[in-house]
Amino acid sequence: MATTTLRLYLTCIRNTLHAAMCLQNFPCQEVERHNKPEVELKTSSELLLNPVLICRNEAEKCLIETSINSLRISLKVKQADELENILTKKFLRFLSMRAEAFQVLRRKPVQGYDISFLITNYHCEEMQKQKLIDFIVQFMEDIDKEISELKLSVNTRGRLVATEFLKQFI
Amino acid sequence: MACMDRVSPALKQILLKLYLADKSIEIDHHLYEFGSIEYHIQSQASNPLLAYLSISIPPLCHGILPNNLSPYTIEMVKGICPNVVEIEEPARDGFQLTLKLNLYQIPRNKDYVKVIGDISSVQSVILSSQLKEILWNVNSDDASPGMYKPIKLVYHPREPFFVIRQPQRIIAVFPIRFREKSDIVIATTFFQELMDVGNSDKWTKTPPCTWSAIPPPELRGEAFEDLSTNGGFFSFDISSRHVEGKRLDKTVWNLLNFNTYVRNHVKSTKGFIHRRMRKRMENLVQVLHGTNSEENEQAKQVKQRQGFRYTTKLVRSSKHTMKQRWRTLGRKIKRFHFRLKIHGFTRFRQRWLRFPKFSSTKYTKLE
Repeated sequence: MATTTLRLYLTCIRNTLHAAMCLQNFPCQEVERHNKPEVELKTSSELLLNPVLICRNEAEKCLIETSINSLRISLKVKQADELENILTKKFLRFLSMRAEAFQVLRRKPVQGYDISFLITNYHCEEMQKQKLIDFIVQFMEDIDKEISELKLSVNTRGRLVATEFLKQFI
Repeated sequence: MACMDRVSPALKQILLKLYLADKSIEIDHHLYEFGSIEYHIQSQASNPLLAYLSISIPPLCHGILPNNLSPYTIEMVKGICPNVVEIEEPARDGFQLTLKLNLYQIPRNKDYVKVIGDISSVQSVILSSQLKEILWNVNSDDASPGMYKPIKLVYHPREPFFVIRQPQRIIAVFPIRFREKSDIVIATTFFQELMDVGNSDKWTKTPPCTWSAIPPPELRGEAFEDLSTNGGFFSFDISSRHVEGKRLDKTVWNLLNFNTYVRNHVKSTKGFIHRRMRKRMENLVQVLHGTNSEENEQAKQVKQRQGFRYTTKLVRSSKHTMKQRWRTLGRKIKRFHFRLKIHGFTRFRQRWLRFPKFSSTKYTKLE
């Protein structure tokens, strides 16, 4: 059931991204010889499209904001308990601090979300659109998988260490 | 953070250096461990195999135990290596105990490392014996009502723990404090696992343990700063069978090092998480770079193939046409010769009408 809902959620995001990722070069209307992502500046409302919010549940959602020359994707990752919360924060902070390696990752997430991506028309020119969408979807899948595995590993390690500690009493 | 190893590494290193020295050396070292334990090692150049080791340890429990070492502790220290270790009376100024080490008594075989290791663990012997004294009379019925009062033990200044003597058992309570929230979460996970494992049927011989976020009722009336924690309270119920014979030593050492053990686990778990995150990030970066590099490689390959094809085609075509031109020219000359039959002309042609060979690589430098 969980796998089905996850697949539907990811398919919905994939289709929305596919529709939203038709970006073109567009110089800034306010400042001459400047070219800025309109989705960040939001100076001209005519250059912005309606944002799309896709929710799997209250804890997991994805906000896709589109403009003429840029696209911003913000993700909120599921955090069921304190350990997941800490692991998610640690991992996403770790990735955000190394945002230069990803090119499309934003250093600071949008408020209310855990991680954000900013894709401009230049990224679409450099990379294949379909592959970029695949990367975003795989990133979401990997984050979920990694958090679950990390949680499991921490618990397993804890159990092993506890066993070793108790062995010393005997 | 205290050291989980009983042997003091610095002290062991100095004693080994002294013992293995080829020529006589004079040593006068002051060492501090964990900020509260002080060692003073002294040896004369005239007799390097006779050293004096003075040690100062703050008492485990202020108020209950005297500042001076108890006879039981002194007996335990004497028992480390009776041939080698002698207790100097009185101890040197500022120290609780001075040991005279007759290093020449240590046998010159492989056992010397073990003997020196035993001497270097004098600090753990003193601390253990102090706690043993507290745990000693678990079964004694002379416990007065005042004895139920918690005893605060300070092995490390920032990590005190409590021992509460009750009829037929002793409860050791560890208030857990951490600076970071992530440490608390990892430690809490560990405590839950420790509780699960410890309370299972397989581990009935180990002391039952419990973790609670609020202070246990036994600590009622203690100072507020001792009860204010962010990681809760972990308790061990120690009964008489956990302090019988050799088990006493193990139980004492485990209790003394419980805080260190937890901190070490938290630290290593954080390292483990960090390694996993780094590995996963590398995978994700590879996926992203695959999006543009794959395409670029494909395009490059196509371009390369196209480029080579055109170049080879050009080279092939130029070679071909040149050959053809030479052949037609040769045929024309042959036809020209066939019409006029002059005796000896063939030899003339071969000698004088040969096509010169031009080499592109060779050239003569013009002076």
